[in-house]
Formats: sequence, C-alpha cells, structure tokens
Amino acid sequence: MAGLRIPKEVLGSLKSIVMAGYPYEVCGLMTGKVTKDAVNVCRVMTARNLNTERAYDRYELAPDDMLSADQEAKRRGLEIVGIWHSHPEHPAQPSETDRTLAWEGWSYVILSVTREGVADVRSWRLNGKRQFVEEGIETWPT
Amino acid sequence: MADVTIRIPMPLRTFAEGADEVVVAGTTVGEALKALGRAHGGIVERVMTPKGQLRNFVNIYLGNENVNSLNGLDTALSDGDVLSIVPAVAGGVGVRAKDRRLVELRAGIPQVTPREAEALRRGGAVLIDVREREEIAEGRPVGAHPLGRSYLELKIEDVAPDLDRTVLVFCNSGMRSLFAAEDLKRLGYTDVRSVSGGFNRWKNEGLPFEVPQILDHDARERYSRHLLMPEVGEAGQFKLLNSKVLLVGAGGLGSPAAFYLAAAGVGTLGIVDHDLVDLSNLQRQILHTNDRVGTPKVASARATLEALNPRVKVNEHEVRLDSNNVERIFRGYDVVVDGSDNFATRYLVNDACVRLGIPNVHGAVFRFEGQVSVFWPAYPKHHGPCYRCVYPEPPPPELGPSCAEAGVLGVLPGVIGVLQAVETIKLILEVGEPLIGTLLYYDALKARFSELKLPRNPSCAYCGDHAEFPGYVDYEAFCAASNA
Repeated sequence: MAGLRIPKEVLGSLKSIVMAGYPYEVCGLMTGKVTKDAVNVCRVMTARNLNTERAYDRYELAPDDMLSADQEAKRRGLEIVGIWHSHPEHPAQPSETDRTLAWEGWSYVILSVTREGVADVRSWRLNGKRQFVEEGIETWPT
Repeated sequence: MADVTIRIPMPLRTFAEGADEVVVAGTTVGEALKALGRAHGGIVERVMTPKGQLRNFVNIYLGNENVNSLNGLDTALSDGDVLSIVPAVAGGVGVRAKDRRLVELRAGIPQVTPREAEALRRGGAVLIDVREREEIAEGRPVGAHPLGRSYLELKIEDVAPDLDRTVLVFCNSGMRSLFAAEDLKRLGYTDVRSVSGGFNRWKNEGLPFEVPQILDHDARERYSRHLLMPEVGEAGQFKLLNSKVLLVGAGGLGSPAAFYLAAAGVGTLGIVDHDLVDLSNLQRQILHTNDRVGTPKVASARATLEALNPRVKVNEHEVRLDSNNVERIFRGYDVVVDGSDNFATRYLVNDACVRLGIPNVHGAVFRFEGQVSVFWPAYPKHHGPCYRCVYPEPPPPELGPSCAEAGVLGVLPGVIGVLQAVETIKLILEVGEPLIGTLLYYDALKARFSELKLPRNPSCAYCGDHAEFPGYVDYEAFCAASNA
C-alpha cells in the first residue's frame, strides 16, 4: 500500500474540525475507497466522543455514528477506510492506548494540535504483529 | 428461517474473502452469527466469547438499533433484515492526570514569550519566579520576585497588592507556572499570564538575568527565625551578612553587642581594643573566659565569636585608637558601636564617624544606670545630632567616672550593649525608628526606661550647618583641660 491519499480540501476541513475541538480530543471516520496502491479518502466526518469524562486524552467513537457513516458510505459506493482523532498538545504518534484498541485494516490518522493550530498530521496502520507502521500521506491536487 | 444480510467491517473482511456483506439464514441474531461463523471461520471468534456472548468491543446493529437494546442475541430476525457488525473504536493520548490538566491550563491561561514578559515587566507588570531555591541559584531574570511555589498565595500580595496588576508567572520550563497562574487567578488576580518556556527559554533568548546570592542549607537553618520575620526575611539576612560593624572596645558593652551581632549573622565584625583580659573584666565582659586572662582581648573576643558563628569574619584591631589611625580603621565599616569607657575615645569616635558619615551607636553605663543613643548627622531621613551637639565638652571627673573608678553592676552593660546591638541591626535592616535624636536612659534600680530628646546643634563645629571638619584634636588633653 502506497499510503493515504486525501484531497487538500478534505484535509483542510479535517484540520478545522480538530482546531475547533481543541483542547478536547475529537474523533471521526474517513470514508473512501481502497485500491491496490492506496487508501483514497473522499470524505471525513465527525463522530461523538462518548468518553466525556476524559475528553482531553481519550476518545470512544459513538457506534451509532459509525453505523450512520457506514450506511451513508454504502449509498455513495464508498466504505469506511479509517479513523481519525486528535492528540491535543501531543505528537501525532499513536499511544499505547491507540495501539491496544486498534483494528487491522483501517488507516488511523492522528492530528497533533496545540493552541496555535494543527502541528502535524500522520497516518498509521497496524501490521500483522499489531504494531503501528506509518504510511505516507499524499494530498491532491498536488 | 429468514435470510439476513450481515455487513462486515473492513477489519474483519480478511475472514470473509474481502466481502463487505454476507447473506446467511437464521431466526435470531445469535443463529445468524453462528451461521456466519460456519461460512467464514475467524469472524465469530472476534464477535462472540466462547460462551456465546457478544464481546464488548463490537456492537451488532439490527437496522439502526443496537441489539443490546433489543433482545440481544435472542432478537428475532425477519427476511431481508440487515445486521451490521460495528467495531468499537477507541484510543487517545492516554496521558497522565497532570498532562491532562496542563492541556486545560494551556487553553485557559494566557501565555507570553520571555521577550514579551520582559517588555511587560518594564511597563509595570510584576514578574513572579515560582521555582525552587536551588533552581534560582542558577540565575533569575532581573527584577523577578522569587516567591517560590509553596507560599505563593501567602506572599504574592506583598509584591502585588493590586489584584488588577498584570502578573507574569514563570518557572523553568513553563509548566509549573501554569499551575501557579491558575492559583493566582483563583486568588482574585484578574490578569495572570504564564511565561512560555520559562527561565530556560529566557536564558536562551539572551534576556537579562542575574545570579543571586542564595542562603545555603546551614544558613537557612541558623537564621531560620530571622527568615520567618517579614521585617528581616532573606533580603534582610543578606543585608546583615553583607554588613560590616566595628566595635570600639571588647569590654562590658562590646561583649554582649558583638556576641549578638555575630549570632545575628553580621558578616564582618571589627574589634578595636589594645587591652589584655583581666580577671576583674569577667564579671561583665562575657566574650572572655577565665583561661584567657592575660591574653589580648581582641584575640579572646575573636575565639568566642568564631565558636558561636564560624562564618563571621572577625577583624582584630589590637591598637589604641588615636587621631592617626582612626580613619584608617573606621573606613569601610557600615556602623560603629561605641563601647568605650572614657570621654577621650568617645569624642574621637564621634569626630571620625561625623567625618566619615558613619552612624555611631553610643552606649554608656554607670553603676545601675545606662544610656544608649545613635549619633548620625548624615542619617538620610532627618538630621540628628552628633555626640558633640549633646556634650560640647566632657563633664568633670566626678560626674563621669569610669567603671574602674565607680564600679558597675555586671549585668548592666549587658542590657545597654544588647540595646546597642538592636539599634545596629535596625540600622542595617533599615527598619523601625533608630534612636537618632533620642537618648534612651535606663535606671535598673527603678526598673524604668525613659527617653530624652537630643536636639541637633546647628552651630556644632563638627556637624552643624556649613560646618567644615575642624580636624582631630589631642583628645586626652581636651578632656584633661575640660576637667581642669
């Protein structure tokens, strides 16, 4: 897999969502199509974080929202291709919590966010040994 | 049997040959999932426990309803129903409590760069250092108030009584200052900001800082009772440690005065005395001991003072004070404590102090009576008299006998000498009202203190208006002539 391909405009709106959510951790889904050489993201959507107690450092994506995303994706001929979430004041690297609770087969996009804005965006996938491996992010039009 | 469609999420599709949905037959959710397991090994194990219950990290939806809110695995199915396997998705930074709190604080506390902080300080904002003592020893921004974190709320109003004044808080890296800033906001300060990057960044950006004088552990312990007093505190203790006091005479007055000044931490004590310890001195001159009879008083005094406080520097001046050496000896001292027992020396001490602008803490004793005053015409707050303003000439011998002639209650110079030490410390600390222009008189028999006002003489030849120093005289002859 070459990596994650995402339209600039979609990435821009994702950054806006994350900045608006700061200092809370926000999460959501990415729908698109997986081809043999890339994960192509078409849309991003926000999901509710059910972990309101620790919204600063944990997320628990509302399954209702995932179901809705899946249904909408199907209508558009797309599918859920990954999860995104923010790391307020922390690097865009998966934590041990992220790794433990992750699923193989999805891309996990992490956005590092501070008061000043989004500092970094990186994408990760679990390998067969349940370790995260970074995948490249390609925006288009380039 | 109903035919139902099961939606397979991407992470489980490897067990379904990549299919995004599979059609199975079953009358309940449980049956449908088992049918899925028979058709595609590996999926059901991830969805259900070996005991046949749904795992807590997946959700099964029938249409838009979570089956947990229906009848769970026993929920009945109809032909054409759609079941969706929805994996639970969770994660997060998973930070420790303090990091979580920091995120909140960063969102709520305004932050400034060190450069902005310095500009604000110059504009009137107050800069508060909340670091530990050992960290401050490495350096601190010029103009910062080292309040520390422990007593911050208790001390802040001493330096920033106006709650609307801009308060800039900094630590070493910019984290502890956020916690401290939050506390100050809670205390009622309306404009509290944290300095990003703290002192580390301050230093790296080349902003001005100084390496302060710090009390070490021993000194903190030794002077702890001073440090607790707002009138002394660390700043006052440094004034004492940096001060130099000269005692004229290591006798009845000089002994208790020097003893307490050494204990208080006066950094340098000079002692002028040309005499040897005599057995008759020990009734009152508490610096000396029986085994030092016959040895120089200055050396004896030094041994006692260093035993009490080894950090005090004691300068021995084993000379008879006279017109030729007085300025050389006095110069450089901040205060002179006159514990002499004769008029010739008192006039000499006075004249040299007036000439050099040094405060002269005067004491004298006679049997059951004593007196203490401070002569300092150069006192910045108001002009006081000098010794000559009060006593233009020595009294006749019968009115001014020495202890050797008249005798003295041994403890009496203790009272007066200690009062001289108190006045000396007040002068060094610049606290209270020194006995300038006032003579405190003590009558031990009546157990009574009284005060006499000592006016300044504007025509005094030594300190009067437009007076020019007339020079030193032959003090023995001056006193002898007056007594004639």
